[in-house]
Amino acid sequence: MKTSAAHGFVNQVLAYTLVGIGLTSSIGVGAVWMREQISFTANANKVLEARIADLTRRCEETTAAIAQEQDATVLLQRNTLWNLGLVPPAEGQVQRVTEDPTERLAAKRSRGIERETAAAGTVSFRVAEQP
Amino acid sequence: MSKGFASNYRVVVLASLVLLSFAGLGVRLVWLHVIDRQELLDTIEKARRQITIEHARRGDILDARDNILATSRSLIDLGVDPQLLRPEDEKKWPQLAALAGLTLPELAKILNTRTSRPDAVVAPKSPAAGSLTFDFGLGGRKDEEKDEADTADDATQVGEPDANGERPIQWAKLSDGISESAYAAIQQLKIRGIYGNRVYRRVYPHNELAAHVIGYVNRAEQPVTGIESFADFYLHGQDGWMEGEKDGRQVELAQFRSRDVPAADGYSVELSIDAVVQHIVEAELATIAEKYRPEKATIIVSDPRTGFILALANTPTFDLNAYNKLGPGGEYRLRNIAVADMYEPGSVFKIVAAAGALNDGLVTPETTFDCTLESIMVDGVERKLPREDASDHFDHPLSVADIIALSSNKGAAQLGVLLGARRFYNYVRAFGFGSPTGFPVGGEVGGLVHPVEKWDGLTITRMPMGQSVEVTPLQMHAAMGVIASGGILLRPQLIRRIRDASGEVVYGLGRAVVRRVISEATARTMAQLLSRVASDAGNAPEAAIPGYDVAGKTGTAQKAVNGHYIEHHHVSSFVGFFPASNPQVAISVILDDCDENLVGGTAFGHKVAAPSFRHIGEQLIPYLDIQPGIDDATHPAIAMEGGAR
Repeated sequence: MKTSAAHGFVNQVLAYTLVGIGLTSSIGVGAVWMREQISFTANANKVLEARIADLTRRCEETTAAIAQEQDATVLLQRNTLWNLGLVPPAEGQVQRVTEDPTERLAAKRSRGIERETAAAGTVSFRVAEQP
Repeated sequence: MSKGFASNYRVVVLASLVLLSFAGLGVRLVWLHVIDRQELLDTIEKARRQITIEHARRGDILDARDNILATSRSLIDLGVDPQLLRPEDEKKWPQLAALAGLTLPELAKILNTRTSRPDAVVAPKSPAAGSLTFDFGLGGRKDEEKDEADTADDATQVGEPDANGERPIQWAKLSDGISESAYAAIQQLKIRGIYGNRVYRRVYPHNELAAHVIGYVNRAEQPVTGIESFADFYLHGQDGWMEGEKDGRQVELAQFRSRDVPAADGYSVELSIDAVVQHIVEAELATIAEKYRPEKATIIVSDPRTGFILALANTPTFDLNAYNKLGPGGEYRLRNIAVADMYEPGSVFKIVAAAGALNDGLVTPETTFDCTLESIMVDGVERKLPREDASDHFDHPLSVADIIALSSNKGAAQLGVLLGARRFYNYVRAFGFGSPTGFPVGGEVGGLVHPVEKWDGLTITRMPMGQSVEVTPLQMHAAMGVIASGGILLRPQLIRRIRDASGEVVYGLGRAVVRRVISEATARTMAQLLSRVASDAGNAPEAAIPGYDVAGKTGTAQKAVNGHYIEHHHVSSFVGFFPASNPQVAISVILDDCDENLVGGTAFGHKVAAPSFRHIGEQLIPYLDIQPGIDDATHPAIAMEGGAR
């Protein structure tokens, strides 16, 4: 065995081994970094999911509270407590219109115009009163 | 090639070390991955693997205007591990007590009780601490009692007993009704050892409203009655689950989540019930219950054009949020009287004989009957006719229109005889009596209609006036609906739509026709005849609503005890609809056994039930925008006068 050739081979092996170790380490570090990033992202997602779920629960809590406050009994209590005096309309207060409302409004407006025209065309005389 | 930096000896040693190291690593890896593989995997699986259940949210129950009748709320069961408490946190205990709804001594007693005997009742608590603090956080409502599902231990012992034979407590309940906001405040205190388990609890924002229709879910999340039970398939949803790993601190490692099946929340069920109509009805029920003290009473409101129920209420009733606090004998309050109880309908039932005779062309509204007769020949045998009510005596022939308007028993009996037993029975069944209506909730019964073969000689003269037959309030309501809907029997319905979690309608229900019972012309004639009842010419002017043509029929049925009718105990009713010419709402008011001392005489239907009909109707007119009938609509006097009054 030639010494120089053996040394060269060993040196090459060592060099390649070191390079291999370096590469493997880089890949390992990269993999660890990647896993860390995956972990970080997964945890961030988890936190976001938890936050969304928390907000959803808060919304449900608020919705339930609103529903409770909209209960007719509660509203009637508020009406009394705050002296609002709100009452449902009685049938006597309701005017039921069975015709076409546009025609009715047009007719009403026409009557108004006619009155205004008549008023504008009226001639009036001022008569002095005798003492 | 140069010699390099190493001598032969050093190179060999270095190379050997490197190779040995790799060999060692390889051996170790083989050892771990091949030889000890299963054992290590089992250990990891046991220690790190976890399956987390994600509970689905139960769907809401909504009314016809999207008001929430039942919903699910996230609440926190608050507990403590006394072993983890730190002395430096004691100064925060007053704040914790306030947030948990406990007094400081109560809290201190729980937190300071760190062990208990295995055989002892593990209840390191004061009475208040152990009580169910079921705070919905909505109206200050608090339960003061424990329910059947809440009798589980309030403390959990884990670990080996010490020298005194006591085990350390690792979980003691502080409160099981903490709201999200209160729990967030508790977490801000950062007291070690205090933690909560999140659970969904059913909340009924309107308390008693439509209790018998909605039903309830118990503390074990099991639906018990009502729509909660009937529509549970849609409401309950599907739990999700996550499979993953956790670290040494029991915190999930999100990156190792291998399976994630999301929970599918339950569908929402939209009812035909209108919360406002229901409230009007329940307020009226409360009024008549206070005024006449009936044993029980029912009011049903529906849209006769579709069969959808707008309101259904009974008294006695119960609070859905306190179903577990009914007290002894309180189960009776849970009973949906409208469908689960039967009664003899009395004169309301006369609509069957009259409609049948008119439909078959045997009579016209003007056909007269001698209502002074004491008996009548039936199949060649003389049968005694029923007596008229004490206040009624007719000394002249009555037309069919009068028989209905004045509620003549003898007249109704003669209509039944005219029809004949078989045809009358067929009409009774066609109107829906004797079989359940198909109403989805409440344990409905079918009523009691004996087949003709089992009738005695008097049945054909008694059943047309509402005796010898038992019906449910809903059956009677549906039968009146036949006339209001133009002769068609519609199935009473509660559920309008099923919606998914995003609000999309996945299932909708429409009008459900059971069968045609009478012709449309007959139904129209009957509606006209019934509209005389609620007039000065009829026996129930108390039901009249000014400006509207009300059609209806009173009923005052004596109650039978042990087969004998007894005095001073009646089932009083008024069942009707309006406007008679264009029915938009049907209302049934049925009171069982009013206190006749409070009524001031016999509890006739026109006296106790008809006024409630009118009162409810008057409130519904503006709310549902019910227009006067067709006849009235042809005289729009107010509008034609320019809207001024």
